[in-house]
Amino acid sequence: MTRIRVLSPVGQARAENFTAPPLPADLAGLTVGFIDNTKHNFDRLADELGTLLRARYGVKAVVRRRKGNASVPASPETLAELAKECDLVFAGSGD
Amino acid sequence: MSELAALGISGLPLLVVPHPLGGERPESVTRKAHQAAEQLASLLGADATPRTSLRPPEVGTGLTDPATTDLVTTDDPQAVLAEFCERGWCDGLPVIPPTEERVRAMLGGAPPERSLGAMPPLWRGATLEKLAVNAVMAGCEPAAFPVIVAAVEAMLDPAFNLYGVQATTHPVAPLVIVHGPVAGRLGVHAGSGCFGPGFRANATIGRAIRLILMNVGGAWPGRHDMATQGSPAKFSYCIAERADASPWGPLRADDAVTVFGGEAPHNVNDHVSTGAAGILATVADTAVSLGSNVGWFLAQSQLLVVLGPEHAATIAGDGLTRADVQRYVFEHARLPLRTLKLGGMWGMQDWPAWMSAVRDDDALLPQVPSPDDVFVIVAGGPGKHSSVVPNCTFSRAVSRPVEARGR
Repeated sequence: MTRIRVLSPVGQARAENFTAPPLPADLAGLTVGFIDNTKHNFDRLADELGTLLRARYGVKAVVRRRKGNASVPASPETLAELAKECDLVFAGSGD
Repeated sequence: MSELAALGISGLPLLVVPHPLGGERPESVTRKAHQAAEQLASLLGADATPRTSLRPPEVGTGLTDPATTDLVTTDDPQAVLAEFCERGWCDGLPVIPPTEERVRAMLGGAPPERSLGAMPPLWRGATLEKLAVNAVMAGCEPAAFPVIVAAVEAMLDPAFNLYGVQATTHPVAPLVIVHGPVAGRLGVHAGSGCFGPGFRANATIGRAIRLILMNVGGAWPGRHDMATQGSPAKFSYCIAERADASPWGPLRADDAVTVFGGEAPHNVNDHVSTGAAGILATVADTAVSLGSNVGWFLAQSQLLVVLGPEHAATIAGDGLTRADVQRYVFEHARLPLRTLKLGGMWGMQDWPAWMSAVRDDDALLPQVPSPDDVFVIVAGGPGKHSSVVPNCTFSRAVSRPVEARGR
């Protein structure tokens, strides 16, 4: 048997680096947003979680925005609105 | 999660809600909301170090990220297969070892470092070298490489929504349709059994596309390719048109490739109709069902009708044009609102305002936005069968020219 060298078929990952900022220590008085991915029950989850955030964490307001459908990103307008209105945003993923 | 790692993003706090959420009863959703609220307490004020304790469990293969380094091994076919399988580099079938010499031959002088873009879901660079490595592994002849390049270019067009196609739970696979004289030169089969085995060009071009989607894009079953059951079409899915047997000519006459994000073909069996009416009724009935994804996101929904030559001839014999077939399927592949309300993706639909305003339960609603979103081609051999390929409802077909070698 002969030794051979074969090339890797795996693509190279991009080399960008971004570190997400930590969550605030306290949510009291903050506005929290949800990006609804339109999947079944996400609206219910966001409603219930929103209620809990207000009751337990003192969140001031909860904002929910729905994507066009589950397969597309949230529109730039939606992201701009949420960025303006909210201190913290949850983006729904999965189903 | 490794998608974030691939994007170079660290420290993103993850609130993990155990799957599934969809289809759960209200009390289950309430329980999960409470769990999430409790979990949130541990995230607040935490620093940006990786939150490994919150990683969702790996599902399915249990593979770690495949190695990107080259490999020195023996030329024993079984050893090569074992190595490639162990590294998560192949689809489970034997591969041709991608030696530098073979990859260079596949490239045929094309610049190896040229990138067609970042391929989702892990957004890795789709360089010609990586495409060529996978094409060698799949068993492609170098002459087929321009078709693979064109297909990848088409898949990376935003209209194709490759991220969605790669990551969805739906069993979608890009069907590669090769148009023009290049199909004949390469031996891409359009006749009897064209969707099946037996033809090197079909098998290896389609397989190369799949290997690229797995190795370059990073979509492995159960790990970024989240298809619930997948599809045999994910091994290989490539055909050509029967331009010689189409009463209306080919969809495209030039050397080109179309990628269509479709399910596996659905059989259209009509052994008895002597005219267009019966065959088209059978086609339209096959093209619509409550379990199909088509129609729920209307703007991106499309249907591909692959008529067998005998069905096509019968339809054309009644004087119908390709546009007539498109119009017929558009008008008749429909379900009443009352049926759509029974299940499927009811409540998740993305419909134009006029459709959302319909209240008549007997109203028949379209599956695709226009007759132009019904593609009609001819392929196959003798017999009374055609097929319909529904798309995944979130990807539009894209075509690209096949560049001649050396250009």
